[in-house]
Amino acid sequence: MSVPVALVTGGTKGIGREISRTLSRKGMRVYMNFSGDRDAAEAARQELNAETVQADVSDQEQVNAMISAIIEKEDRLDILVNNAGIIRDGLLMLMPAKNWHRVIEVNLNSVYYCSKAALRPMVANRWGRIINIISPSALMGRAGQTNYAASKGGILGFTRSLAREVARYGITVNAVSPGVIETELTSTMEEKVRREFISMIPAGRFGTPEEVARAVSFLISDEAGYITGEYLSVDGGLT
Amino acid sequence: MDKDTLVEELKALIIKNLKLEDIAPADIDAAAALFGGGLGLDSIDALELVVGLEKTYGIRIPDEDVGKEAFASVNALADYVLKNKK
Repeated sequence: MSVPVALVTGGTKGIGREISRTLSRKGMRVYMNFSGDRDAAEAARQELNAETVQADVSDQEQVNAMISAIIEKEDRLDILVNNAGIIRDGLLMLMPAKNWHRVIEVNLNSVYYCSKAALRPMVANRWGRIINIISPSALMGRAGQTNYAASKGGILGFTRSLAREVARYGITVNAVSPGVIETELTSTMEEKVRREFISMIPAGRFGTPEEVARAVSFLISDEAGYITGEYLSVDGGLT
Repeated sequence: MDKDTLVEELKALIIKNLKLEDIAPADIDAAAALFGGGLGLDSIDALELVVGLEKTYGIRIPDEDVGKEAFASVNALADYVLKNKK
């Protein structure tokens, strides 16, 4: 088999960047999707030995153009990591419709657009991996995150159903659920909030992006070829 | 290419792509439903054929509405290929 080609949506920052780094280190050809932040994308490109591709993943035309361009160039696409996501937290009773719709568009619709476009080369090659990044919010709920939890819970149902559609083609579809992970966001947390979060986590600490990337990497490996339609929590026991 | 030749070619492609080792081209009724019929094929098998047709004839089946028309029978598929072949 020639070098596997991977696409990581939202792949130049946070957890996505770490996933890109891990796959690139394993010798894969990695395309890191980003939406707007060109500086972060350029920095990631230089550091991680991976390509960058711009597209708003909530726009089907942009997704199709992005994935067609990758397939045109590489003649294959083996791995898709649906990682791109946003939050627009707020209590439901006061949540503006735009915050509901935007979260569903970016987090959930993107998974449909990207997976649909990426499946053809995978079916043709009879091998493929789709990893969807979900959240403890999908599994246990979280006040202030009805929109986010709905999007991530939707992805989990999608994961289980698509897994059944494509299993006979050697394609597995799984989800990874990172708990509270050390990122830019958590580094700016107040000490009190930080302690509160940690008190809920049996492991007594936040996770690292590397720990999430290792779980993704395992599910992509041939060793995990018989695992499909599952989710793997990387959350220190939180859920 | 005339339609009869294409029908035979498509039967061979279907047998090869869907690994129907026990079936001969003559066993496939060109007028019968391809999926959910006597060949024991289900809709998930159609995905294989979608990519096979794209590779062989450069025809794209973008969605299920087109798929239903194209996969109605081998005859229908031949018509679709003749109409859309690049």
